[in-house]
Amino acid sequence: SLPHLSHSSGTGALAQWVLVELQGEVEPRQSGGLAGSLLGDLHYTCEGVPVLIVGHHILYGKVVQLEKPFAVLVKGGGAPQPSPAGPHGHYTVTALIKTKLLFKTRPKPIITHVPKKV
Amino acid sequence: AAVRSRAEVDATLQTAKLNPAELLPAVHCLSFGPEAGGGECCLLQLEPGLCAELEAGRSLVIRGEKDEHAVVCSKDKTYDMKIADTSNMLLFVPGCKTPEELNADPASCNVIHSQIAGFSNNYWELRRCRPKLKKLRKLLMEEPYEGPDSQKDQTSTFSKYTTEDLLSLIQASEEEILHQLQVIDACKIEGYWRILDFDYEMKLLNHVTQLIDSESWPLSKVPLCACLEELGSLEPREMIEHILLSYGRKYVDDAGEVFFEMREDKICRAIAQMLLQNAVKFNLSEFEEVWQQSVPEGMRTRLDQLQGLALVDKSSRPETIFLLKVEDLPEDNQQRFNSLFGIREKWTEVDITPYIQDLCAEKQTVGALLTKYARSSMLNGVKVYNSRRPIS
Repeated sequence: SLPHLSHSSGTGALAQWVLVELQGEVEPRQSGGLAGSLLGDLHYTCEGVPVLIVGHHILYGKVVQLEKPFAVLVKGGGAPQPSPAGPHGHYTVTALIKTKLLFKTRPKPIITHVPKKV
Repeated sequence: AAVRSRAEVDATLQTAKLNPAELLPAVHCLSFGPEAGGGECCLLQLEPGLCAELEAGRSLVIRGEKDEHAVVCSKDKTYDMKIADTSNMLLFVPGCKTPEELNADPASCNVIHSQIAGFSNNYWELRRCRPKLKKLRKLLMEEPYEGPDSQKDQTSTFSKYTTEDLLSLIQASEEEILHQLQVIDACKIEGYWRILDFDYEMKLLNHVTQLIDSESWPLSKVPLCACLEELGSLEPREMIEHILLSYGRKYVDDAGEVFFEMREDKICRAIAQMLLQNAVKFNLSEFEEVWQQSVPEGMRTRLDQLQGLALVDKSSRPETIFLLKVEDLPEDNQQRFNSLFGIREKWTEVDITPYIQDLCAEKQTVGALLTKYARSSMLNGVKVYNSRRPIS
């Protein structure tokens, strides 16, 4: 039973995904895990600078073209692959990643409770 | 989870004191997909060329048994896999557009709901490596082919390997495996890859060389048809053709007839192996005499034909020669050098090169290997190499 990394969709080009690189760890706000919860809003300035609003923070990043692209491997066979060498795989190449949004700057906190002058 | 609306996005922008006029109109609302935390996704960093291969629809394969380090193989190359940790969090986002893509497509949706498919703080790195082919020979040597009359072939507990079997067991790409099968003169018998038992191989070779001699054929023009006719009653035709292919260069003349140009170096080398395997070591000059007498008429023996097969001991009186086959030595670099330095404490570059040549990576030289794994010194005006560490 040999892991094959094969093209997941027979219908043409491999999907292109994007990598978002953040400092630190991602933790769920509520108990119950991350699935389904919101991370934040991703904007771009007119100059193409990515801006990510996460919770009470603003992160500024940059678009980086990866010198070495990534393949995203997903466990499980996905659609059954016609494979000359026998069993279909435990990993499927689902997408390629050639671009990443790198957020390395310190997050700027959003100050929300500014008392209004009466 | 609730889907964010344009109004909510705008409200957040306002709270954050960002000016919408300075931003592109489209926004990605990122949320974690249902599978995101499951660890089902991981990242593989691609070496040049692999990306293009995947895009062209070709696949990559992971090969390795539980006791082996996994490798990734493309159609013709092999790569070591190593985990690389990053202190950052990497999120993989399908359908996330770059500024260029958004600008290029004015119809792009205003609020794009993107689900993060997964995240990781590590990825697999690949590094091109030598295919791990020593196992190939080891598997085929479990049951060398001894000829059609051999009893062994009849038993069912026989280890035999098809191409598919080898592909699943050997940590190398298909092309590298097929090439190596050719290099070691393996042949397919009844669908299984086999290596000939050396004695049987020499028997076949001897039939051919004796026939060449009795027919007075030139060594450069040995006719296939006549060989098959004359020897077909002694051995299977496929074996006769196989031995000619192994020890000769096939060509077709203007009349369309198939001939072989016999390979002097390879024949002399095989005969030397036959002589040397019968004793621990030989008196060099005696060996050279017997060797020359044993090869076909018209062939000339030379010691350099024995590189990687035998080693001359110039320090003994009289000088001696013994069998040392590079394919019997360890495949791992450090273990190979340990083994060589265990056999002989100090080596000249000329002597050691045939025994480390196969360790060179894609652009690596023998000199670079020696610098890394050995220490040099001068002995009687000659540069020699010895181990970097004490050999136990």
